Amino acid sequence: MLQWLYKLGSPRHFYEMTTGFIPWLSGITFFLLIVGVVWGLAFSPPDYQMGDNYRIIYIHVPTAIGAMGAFMMLACMAAMYMIWNLKMADMVARSIVPLGAWLCVLCLLTGSLWGKPTWGTYWIWDARLTSTLILLFIYVGMMALRNAYDSETAGAKAASVLALVGVINVVIIYKSVEWWNTLHQGASELSASDVGTNPPEIWIPAFFTGFAVIGLFFLMLILRTRNEILRSEQRTQWVQDLLKQELEEVATDA
Amino acid sequence: MPDFQFEGLADFLAMGGDALFVWSSYFVFALFIGWNLIQPRLQRRKIIKLLQARMQREAGLQQPMSGQASRIAG
Repeated sequence: MLQWLYKLGSPRHFYEMTTGFIPWLSGITFFLLIVGVVWGLAFSPPDYQMGDNYRIIYIHVPTAIGAMGAFMMLACMAAMYMIWNLKMADMVARSIVPLGAWLCVLCLLTGSLWGKPTWGTYWIWDARLTSTLILLFIYVGMMALRNAYDSETAGAKAASVLALVGVINVVIIYKSVEWWNTLHQGASELSASDVGTNPPEIWIPAFFTGFAVIGLFFLMLILRTRNEILRSEQRTQWVQDLLKQELEEVATDA
Repeated sequence: MPDFQFEGLADFLAMGGDALFVWSSYFVFALFIGWNLIQPRLQRRKIIKLLQARMQREAGLQQPMSGQASRIAG
C-alpha cells in the first residue's frame, strides 16, 4: 500500500497506472450516477413538507461536501509540496482548483434554487452561505494568484500558502451551523441518524449521488493531472516514446 | 423496488410546481459533468499534437534533409 502511494508520487507511474484505471472508474461512476439521479428524481417519495423541490438536495449535499473535501485534499497536496518539494503534489493541486471552484458554484447555485421555494429567498447573508461564497473566492483567487507569477515555482509556492491558510475557512463552513444561529439547517434530513423519521427511499439515492460525485471528481482530477504531467514531463524519454507511439497509431488508423 | 412517484410524464416534468428550480439544478449539474469530462480530453489532444509537431520539427533539424524536403529547401 505504502509502495503504491509512493509510486503515485512519480509522474510516469501515475500516468501509466491511471491509463487502465480510467475505464473502470468511469463505469462505476456512471452506474452510481444514473441510479442515484433516476431514483432521486422519479422514485423517491415527495417530502411531506417540501414537496418535490427537495430533490435538489441530491446534488446540493454531495457538491457541498465535494467543494470542502476538495479543499482539504488541496491543502494536503500543498503541504506535501512545501515539505518534500514533491512536484507531483503540485500538479494534482493545480488540477484540483478549477474542479473545487466548479463544485462550489454548483453547491451555491443548487442551494439558491432550493432556497427560493423553501425559504422564500435565493440568497441570505447567513454564516454558512457567506463562508461558502468565500471558499469560491479563495478557489478563484488561487488560480489568479498562480498566474500572477512569471516563475511557475513562485506561483506554486504562493498558491500552496493560500491553500494552507484557507483551511480555516473550511472549518468555519463546517462548524458555522453550530457556532451561529443560521437559517441553513445542520446536517439532518439525509443523515443516517434520521433513519427513523425519513423513509430510506428518501436518503438512499443520496448515497448513490454522493459516491457518484466523488467518482466524478477523481475522474476529472485524473484527466486534468495527466495533462499536467504531459506538459511538465514533455522532455523526458517516456513522454517522447508515448508521442511516437500515438503518431504510429494515427498512421495505422488512417 | 420503490414505485414511480408521478402520474405520467407531464406530472413528472412539472415537479409539483417546482419544475424551474429542480430542472435547472439538474441542468447545471449535467453541464458540470459534460464540460469537465470533455474539456480535459480536448486539451490532451491539443497538447499531444503540439508536442508531436515539435518532436518532428526537432528530428528534422538533427538529421540531414532528404528527398523532397531538401529540394524544396534548395
